[in-house]
Amino acid sequence: MTASTTSTHDLPAAVEAPAVPASTSRRGWLIGAAVAAATFGLGLTVPFITSDPFIMSLALDAVILALLALSLGFLARHLGLISLGHTAFFGGSAYMVAMTTTHWDWGPMRAAAVAVLAATLLAVLFGALVVRASGMGFLMLTLALGQALYSLTVQTSSRPVTGAFDGLQVSYPADARFLGLTRAEVGDPGLFWPVAWSCLVLAAVALWVVGRSRFGTTLEGIRENEERMRFSGYGTFVPRLIAFVISGAVAAVGGALFALNSRFVSPELLGFATAGDSLIAAIVGGLGTLVGPVVGAALYIYAQSEFNDSGNLHLYTGLALILVLMFLPGGITGGLQRLWRRLPIGARRGGGR
Amino acid sequence: MSIAEVLNGVALGSLLMVLSSGLAMIYGLRGVTNFAHGALYMVGAYVAYSVGTRLSFWVALLVVPVVLAAVGVVLELVFFRRLEHRSHIEVGLVTFGLALVGERIVVLIWGERTLSADPPSALSGSISVLGTNYPTYRLFVIVAALAMASALVLYLSRSERGLHIRAASHDLETASIMGINVDRVSLFVVALGAALAGLAGTLAVPYVSLDPGMGAGILITVLIVVVIGGVGSIGGAMVAGMGLGIAQTVGTTISPSIAVVIPYLALVLVLLLRPTGLAGRRAA
Repeated sequence: MTASTTSTHDLPAAVEAPAVPASTSRRGWLIGAAVAAATFGLGLTVPFITSDPFIMSLALDAVILALLALSLGFLARHLGLISLGHTAFFGGSAYMVAMTTTHWDWGPMRAAAVAVLAATLLAVLFGALVVRASGMGFLMLTLALGQALYSLTVQTSSRPVTGAFDGLQVSYPADARFLGLTRAEVGDPGLFWPVAWSCLVLAAVALWVVGRSRFGTTLEGIRENEERMRFSGYGTFVPRLIAFVISGAVAAVGGALFALNSRFVSPELLGFATAGDSLIAAIVGGLGTLVGPVVGAALYIYAQSEFNDSGNLHLYTGLALILVLMFLPGGITGGLQRLWRRLPIGARRGGGR
Repeated sequence: MSIAEVLNGVALGSLLMVLSSGLAMIYGLRGVTNFAHGALYMVGAYVAYSVGTRLSFWVALLVVPVVLAAVGVVLELVFFRRLEHRSHIEVGLVTFGLALVGERIVVLIWGERTLSADPPSALSGSISVLGTNYPTYRLFVIVAALAMASALVLYLSRSERGLHIRAASHDLETASIMGINVDRVSLFVVALGAALAGLAGTLAVPYVSLDPGMGAGILITVLIVVVIGGVGSIGGAMVAGMGLGIAQTVGTTISPSIAVVIPYLALVLVLLLRPTGLAGRRAA
């Protein structure tokens, strides 16, 4: 079954919702660019609005989780594939930062760049193994590969390299600079914010452009009917692999940012729970829209700060996941989108987004 | 490699067999990977612990599968049946949410600390197997699980209900056209799958220690077993479960660092060489 084609029944309704225009007009590109620029500018003002370090650190956590959720949303939206293994690229990249700075004395800049590159290469390897699968097969394969990396990381014989269950410090000289920021500044959520926010907006724009390009149209064809695409003379393996690697790279950027900011990596980053949490964030926010996973990530971080003390976080996130899947397919942003289409102004614009 | 090590592998393999056959049955019929299967096993173990410490292990062995079958009925009626026309992935993710909630409820009731129980007095001590002393209880786990597995195979291949289950797993639509009450078959299968998970949980109580992470931990292994065995194939899942249990336990005694990757390695190898699993049929 893992080699089966994507049957329509395998496609989550959560990702069926969007009718992405096949091609985007010049006006569409302009509107997109304007929205991106405005969002980018508005986001940069956040550290000036609040100086509370706790809120800032939550906002930063949300942006980092959003990168992971965004990468999951991209695969779901354009290929109908749900991954539980992107922690391998997120956590793998974070571990690379920790290992190269600690063991090899690399500077933060070089470590982060190589970490993202290495995790992206890992995505090529994993992708080659899994992208032929679809639906449940894909979900289980990505889960298994992600957990394999986790098991390798935590075993005792890996202790000299990964620190096993203890995790690893990201240690580099205090005056080494990352994009002009010293080590202390990178660890300061307010000062690190512009870097993280830029990465998020850039990633979102990149994924949006890819989705609207000719390549995006090919992906959509594969999502809707993989077999027909093959019969029409399109290779489907390479486009799927490319999409998987793009998505993995976005997750890797999130992992590198996390490692630099927190200066500590632990096996949790690679664990089943992180995979599940990021997926829940993406689904609750809405897999059908570009911003859905970002909204979900922000909500998740908020919920985490509210409920973590009682230890009941997963009780609520589990309930949220069940309720959204049962009653609000398309998540929060998908629900808002449907609401907007019902309004006179939304309907007139033909349900534009 | 001693006899005791091999038997340990068989004991782990027996538990995996019982768990994965339930998961494979539900998958075969509903097309849904039940991510709550690990949670069912865990709930079974905790309920068995409470019943076992208050009454007796033997009562637990009877009661827990029934309780879990009831949970399975709820699972089928409230979730699987209502969501039958939704994509399988979405239903699978709903079970993932259920597992998270279930895990937390277990913590709220039984607490977070690790629990353990002794085997019933009739099964304590050890027996000499080919000159090696081996714990009686583990032999009991092996015998009980193997008996359960053979009973299940016989039931599926010989009884009329078994025929209906096999037909419905093969092609739900055709089976219902041929007059099989698919809803009833499905209810039965999900209840049976959950009961088997409960049985595995009960057997596990005196064998492994209980902690709230035990469900998620074994779930991944069971998922791998089911994929290796050929998704939806009960026989394949049983063989893969036993094989993996032995390989992992024996592997651990040789090199722990190699043993942890055995399941993943096996999975990747099987999928590269035989993408539909050991006993896989071509997916519809």
